[in-house]
Amino acid sequence: MLETGSVSALRLVAAGPEGTSEILVELGIVLLVLAMLGRLAARLGIPSIPLYLLAGLMLGEGGLIPLDAGEEFLAVGAQIGVVLLLLLLGLEYSPQDLQHGLKTTWFAGLVDGFANGLPGFLLGILMGWSVTASLLLAGVTYISSSGIIARLLGDFERYTNRETPVILSILVMEDIVMAVFLPIMAVLLVGASLSQGAVAAAVAITLVAAAFFVSFKFSRHVSAAVHSRSRELLLLSVLGLTFLVAGLAEAAQVSAAVGAFLLGLTLSGQVADDVRDLMPPLRDVFGGIFFVFFGVTIDPRDLLPVLLPALGLAVVTAATKIATGMWAARRAGIGSKGQWRTGVSLVPRGEFSIVIAGLGIAAGVQPQLGPLAAAYVLILAFSGSLMMRYAAKLGPPSRWLPARASTR
Amino acid sequence: MDIFETPLPGVGVRYEFTAESGDRVGIVVRRDGKRDIGIYDREDPDDCTGTLELSEGDASALAELLGGTNITARLESLRHTVEGLAIEWITMPGHGGLTNRTIGDGHIRTATSASIVAVIRDEVGVPGPGPNFELQAGDTVLVMGSEHAVGQARQILIG
Repeated sequence: MLETGSVSALRLVAAGPEGTSEILVELGIVLLVLAMLGRLAARLGIPSIPLYLLAGLMLGEGGLIPLDAGEEFLAVGAQIGVVLLLLLLGLEYSPQDLQHGLKTTWFAGLVDGFANGLPGFLLGILMGWSVTASLLLAGVTYISSSGIIARLLGDFERYTNRETPVILSILVMEDIVMAVFLPIMAVLLVGASLSQGAVAAAVAITLVAAAFFVSFKFSRHVSAAVHSRSRELLLLSVLGLTFLVAGLAEAAQVSAAVGAFLLGLTLSGQVADDVRDLMPPLRDVFGGIFFVFFGVTIDPRDLLPVLLPALGLAVVTAATKIATGMWAARRAGIGSKGQWRTGVSLVPRGEFSIVIAGLGIAAGVQPQLGPLAAAYVLILAFSGSLMMRYAAKLGPPSRWLPARASTR
Repeated sequence: MDIFETPLPGVGVRYEFTAESGDRVGIVVRRDGKRDIGIYDREDPDDCTGTLELSEGDASALAELLGGTNITARLESLRHTVEGLAIEWITMPGHGGLTNRTIGDGHIRTATSASIVAVIRDEVGVPGPGPNFELQAGDTVLVMGSEHAVGQARQILIG
């Protein structure tokens, strides 16, 4: 078995099939562009996700440099990117974190969901979209980017701040909601009728609950079985298990992403620590491919018609996010400046809005969903992180006025 | 002193206390072992005027500097290992562990199989102290046994 494998591999190297060189060249270009943009983002102090999206828009059909040979590889790479993104998200949290989050923040989570999902849903309905497509847009506008926010909190040295636990627990709550929202959407996207959808959604929720149960009860056993001192063996076991679980989840119509997220929750202890050390670069590379690929699938010419709705949605949902954040912080006894920081910090939207929109694109539910989500995330990932940097420092708007008056 | 503990999901745990001077201090122990120390702004009680990021090693060095007496404890804790046999000099802490309690209270022999060979107090050696021997802060205790047993005994002694 091994021999035939290596022989065909040799053949591939000696005389690759038609198109191999194009695929490699295109892949090389994509990765180098990502590397350049990553450096640029680091220098400017902005998140790299929106830059990767922009790169995808420019590389795709209708863009400056159209790609086609490597698209199939990019598609698979993007899928791997989503799976790794969610695996590591799951790994970030221990079951105890989630339990604590559910207990303390469920109400804030509910308010957050309504205040920020509703504008998206209403816009979808207003534009004449189906209920399913509008629900997807609600998901896009609801979920803040835990990736961008946690990173910036670290960069701005705000972990010690008293409002930070409020921000983080809202992010946890959003991620828990994601774990339930994604499978329901996955089901709605295939199941035609609402009653069929309801039954299937119940099945999906039961599956998720069962997975939660397993992760609480048997976390130690699964982790012990996967663990190895060899980095190579650990990586192979974790990746193998992840793809297997993700694939099976996809086959059961729960969505690969959710399967990976639940597996991430299940792994704990030493394995989780080791994988958290080992995996982020891999996730960032494939995650980058995911954002580029999302951009590639969107024709930049489709952005123009949705620019205005996206802008309006961004303004409205930035305001609703700030309001919910401030409300949650006030409930936790945080002062007015801290309330403002909490609200502003929750504004950035990013990776998960794209994951949700990607789900809709794959199902071909609404052609405008992709461009709208792309424009929306571009606007809020940039402006949200700028607001986190500057608005948070300046303090709440109520303080700007007297300060200005006194300088005059 | 009250120390408030808040979980930081995905990051670690945050501790907070008010010093006697009135300054409020926050410490974040991150999951990867890094520590952040922040002093809260008096005008804006939720924000820090500055934070200090420490590695795990930095943090324990700082803790020893702040702890004062513990420095000598660390310097005087020496371990010699011969194949299968470890000997360690352990200095008793100011409080906690077996300080101001008898050797018998620790049940070191039965719990770990390590033995206390001698105690050095004020540069005078007491060989073969009995179970009723009361340990004091600053005593140096000589423990012998297997590598593992000595480690466990150390835990019991210094708490």
